[in-house]
Amino acid sequence: MPADPALRPAAEAAAAPALEMRGIGKRFPGVIALEDVDLVLAPGKVHALMGENGAGKSTLIKIMAGVYGKDAGSIRIGGRETELRTPRDALAQGLKVVFQEIALIGEFTVAENIFLEQYPVGRAGSIDWKRIRGEAAALFARIGFDVDPAAKTGDLPISQQQMVEIARALAHEARIVVMDEPTSSLTPSEVALLFAVIRRLTALGIAVVYVSHKLDEVFEIADEVTVLRDGRHISTKPIGAHDHDSLIHDMIGRRIENLFPRSRGHHKGEVVLSVSNLSTDAKLKDVAFEARAGEVLGFFGLMGAGRTELAKAIVGFDPIRTGTIAIGGRPLKPHDTRTGVSLGIGLLSEDRKGEGLMLELPVQQNMSLAALENFSRAGFVEEGRERSAVQSFVDRFRVKTPSLAQPIKNLSGGNQQKVLIARWLMRGLKVIVVDEPTRGIDVGAKSEIFALLDRLAGEGLAVVMMTSEMPELLGLSDRILVMAGGRITAGFERDAATQEKILNAAIG
Amino acid sequence: MPQSVSSLAAAPAGPSLLRRLARRNEIALLLSLLAVIAFFALASDTFLTTRNLTNVLGQAALPLVAGIGVAIVFISGEVDVSIGSLVAAIAIPLITIMNATESFALGVAGALALGLAVGVVNGYLAAYLGINSLIVTLGTLFILRGGVYLYTGQRAIPDDVMLESFFQLGNGRLFGVVPHPAVIAVILLIAFAYFLRHRPFGRQLYAVGGNPEVARLAGYNVRRVKFVAFVISALLATIAGILLASRLGSAVHVAGLGFEFQVVAAVVLGGVSLSGGVGSLAGMALGVLILQFVSNGLGMLNIATEWQLVITGGIIIAAVAFDELKRRRA
Amino acid sequence: MSLVSDRSQIVLLGILALLCIAISLAAPQFYTGANVIAILRQCALVLIVATGMTMLLVAAEVDLSVGASLAFTGCVGMDVTNRTGSLVLGTLAALAFAGGVGLFNGLVVTRLKVNSLIATIATMMMLQGGVYLYTREAVQNLHQIRAFTELGAGYVGGLPIPVLIAALIFIAGFVALRFTTFGRYLYAVGANGKAARLSGLRAERLKLVAFLATGLLVGVAGLILASLMNAGQPTAGRGFELTVIAAVILGGTSLSGGRGTLVGTLLGVLVLKVIDNGIIILRWNQDLQMVVPGVVIILATWLDLVRRRRDAR
Repeated sequence: MPADPALRPAAEAAAAPALEMRGIGKRFPGVIALEDVDLVLAPGKVHALMGENGAGKSTLIKIMAGVYGKDAGSIRIGGRETELRTPRDALAQGLKVVFQEIALIGEFTVAENIFLEQYPVGRAGSIDWKRIRGEAAALFARIGFDVDPAAKTGDLPISQQQMVEIARALAHEARIVVMDEPTSSLTPSEVALLFAVIRRLTALGIAVVYVSHKLDEVFEIADEVTVLRDGRHISTKPIGAHDHDSLIHDMIGRRIENLFPRSRGHHKGEVVLSVSNLSTDAKLKDVAFEARAGEVLGFFGLMGAGRTELAKAIVGFDPIRTGTIAIGGRPLKPHDTRTGVSLGIGLLSEDRKGEGLMLELPVQQNMSLAALENFSRAGFVEEGRERSAVQSFVDRFRVKTPSLAQPIKNLSGGNQQKVLIARWLMRGLKVIVVDEPTRGIDVGAKSEIFALLDRLAGEGLAVVMMTSEMPELLGLSDRILVMAGGRITAGFERDAATQEKILNAAIG
Repeated sequence: MPQSVSSLAAAPAGPSLLRRLARRNEIALLLSLLAVIAFFALASDTFLTTRNLTNVLGQAALPLVAGIGVAIVFISGEVDVSIGSLVAAIAIPLITIMNATESFALGVAGALALGLAVGVVNGYLAAYLGINSLIVTLGTLFILRGGVYLYTGQRAIPDDVMLESFFQLGNGRLFGVVPHPAVIAVILLIAFAYFLRHRPFGRQLYAVGGNPEVARLAGYNVRRVKFVAFVISALLATIAGILLASRLGSAVHVAGLGFEFQVVAAVVLGGVSLSGGVGSLAGMALGVLILQFVSNGLGMLNIATEWQLVITGGIIIAAVAFDELKRRRA
Repeated sequence: MSLVSDRSQIVLLGILALLCIAISLAAPQFYTGANVIAILRQCALVLIVATGMTMLLVAAEVDLSVGASLAFTGCVGMDVTNRTGSLVLGTLAALAFAGGVGLFNGLVVTRLKVNSLIATIATMMMLQGGVYLYTREAVQNLHQIRAFTELGAGYVGGLPIPVLIAALIFIAGFVALRFTTFGRYLYAVGANGKAARLSGLRAERLKLVAFLATGLLVGVAGLILASLMNAGQPTAGRGFELTVIAAVILGGTSLSGGRGTLVGTLLGVLVLKVIDNGIIILRWNQDLQMVVPGVVIILATWLDLVRRRRDAR
């Protein structure tokens, strides 16, 4: 818990800053990513770094990690001026960054990954494997983290891999630990474990930078908070000087009155998707539910509950073992996306780069992919019709792109997501399954995506939404189903749902 | 200065799951090899003789030595197909220098110098300039073979001085039994297996191939690691080329045609992944031996050598398909 | 849409022009009708197969067995024509054989999920062994059917027949890749196979079609080659696969799929073959014909890389 803010100035004056970054600037061709940003870390404190996507947090972290060089400004560590040109420089200075993306070698054991940066070697220069295993086991025992050091890292669930990463920071003599969205895939009990670890770090005098979007966590763990916006330093205050609204205000520069601009009272139509008795080899057990035209059906579950697996099974992407899936009363041939799409069900994947975008190809090709047959005659594409259809969606959804020929990799996450939603609308669907529709999208674009999904339901689509974000779930869904361990464990009407009830069902 | 949490007493460690998993593939390969040997032992009287078995080892030595290098490049996440021409090219400095100086050592030095140069060029183009390594090494495969043809005028350069040491290298036998090339191959295999498992740089090769981004964040110089992999591969191909030249007794312009594919096939059969970060030299060696024994056994049964190519191709497809199937089940 | 023209092709065009000027300055006979026709005829074989290979690379696959299949196909075509005395049957047999090889490659890659580089190396080995089992020596032309000889050596309206065939195939391939849903789907499958599948495309079938098309085109090229050599040569086509791939890559098609055009491939073929021709008419050592493509392919890939990195800024 944060100390009483009134006591802090005295404590800060006593200790030299662990890290002092002054006037940091970084430009990429055509973009100023950071301009005149300051960050000062006190030893033994948790410093939250906040801002929307694109605010410059990740650029700043990458400068700290030695991944990017800075263009301007100075960095002092422990009072001494220094340069962080490579990741090795940063590690040598006792600065350890835990990135959001898992930075472990999947083929290595957990123990080896802990010592990836510096293998302990014996006299002849051979790796001391015994010491690696022993120290990893001892480290895990100390922080109360229950995993076999000899396990292959790639076999562990993502949440445990994230804990391995954090444990790795402890194995080095780090004086500064930076954590980038460390809880994005952790369960509540793991979050509690993480916070205990962070408190242990600060007790040792280590400075911790905590980057997160989750306000509740920041209020729980941080001592101070620095907010960035558009590459500029906005504020640095003790956490006690903030409340939710003021923090959000600093982050986005305006108050979002209503993140979920909801048109009340969707008219629910007939059942368009019915799933019964669905099981897969991997995960799902006897899942059954129905979705109606005009409703948003929200699925909630923690990591590993089986949401993504369900999404991929019902659109015909993954094979199933038993069960039936019917769209508009007609059975879907399992493991066959082609009949799925032609019956009118499509998936907006959580993995935008891996399963959605064709990064090198233009906006136009990306958007028209599923609907190309609508614009073709005898196998030939009528590009004029295609272009005008794409253009009309770009206008309607306010997709920001210089032209339809722009490779989609150059668009922002929010605009990419709009193109992918348009890909399905152009095709014409009865059911759209959206999996984590706002992952990696900044606050402003989020509310646009929400409005879009809401409008789709209003226009008579069934929207099946998989999410791990509670506000998103409660703000958008007409009906909520909760998953745990591959099963549906509870169902709520919108008005009967509360955060506590949902979480209970998700943990159970 | 905060205290380090890493200086804690060692705890008892369980058996390495990674090693257990990795072994499974090698055990399957070993069983396949034994099955191949058993089959031909039953089918042919002359197969299971010391003479024949040691002959096979001698023949396997070349792909084994070159295979170490190719496997290392694969593990680092790249490809090297230039070795087929390189084994022919290095014979030119080797033989011409020996002919001129009557010194075995100088000839070998010349060969190694050429091999090193090729490795540096491959490594620089692929690792530092970032050109796709398949393209780079296909390019050097062409260039070297063309260079050999240009230099030799498509004629073999005979070894005029016939140094005993040079002859013994490829044709002699340790204790009159084990061919020298096999001895060299085994020594190199053990040395590089130790290197890959127990040296930090060996682990860096796996890390760089398994996930270059992670390796970079861990402070590794990804480009340098890959560069070194290409140099190692070229030097090992040079050693294979020296052994080959000794057996042929001359620099033959068509030597090693198709050798690159033979080695790549054996390496892949041995479970070394094309996508990097996975595989072991034990697996690679078993892959080489299986293909070598199959081809030898078919020869023993008087089956046309052409069938050997057909069957080898079939084995590769079957093995890789089986491996893929197994992974999908898991 | 930038499927047809981009700057790398302008660069290639410039290289091609420079080569032509330089060679013709050194050897004025470069521009004689006979020499131009010789170059075009050389290009024809490569271009026919490269058309299929471009489709494969666009779909993020590759076929290394085309050289071995080319030789085998020629032997099959010649042999069947000899035995039956029917050019139609011989042609059908050759196309069926080469198409079968393509289909086999496609099935191994799409059904058994074997990496196409490995799968087609294996097919290449099988074909190289197989062709010697089939025939130890060249299959001579015993039938002397005029139409068969015309296939390689004949002219229509002043143009060699192989060039006309290559042109037709190129145009068909260009239209398919540029203007049809099939072509657009190939790019999609190569750019992101999972996204394509989720959008209802049959990714595996599209790849299979590309393998089959490549196989059939190898059949066409094999017949022309057999006609030109007046025999089915089991040793023909060695290294042909690398020439074809070099031309396609030189033309700007990416090894990682989703990028490339047939116009680029055409330019790539022309550049390589003009260089070959230059080496011959300048009376340079013909073994340079192996060295130069090696240098060119590395250089071209590097230039492309530099250009793309600059664009990314």
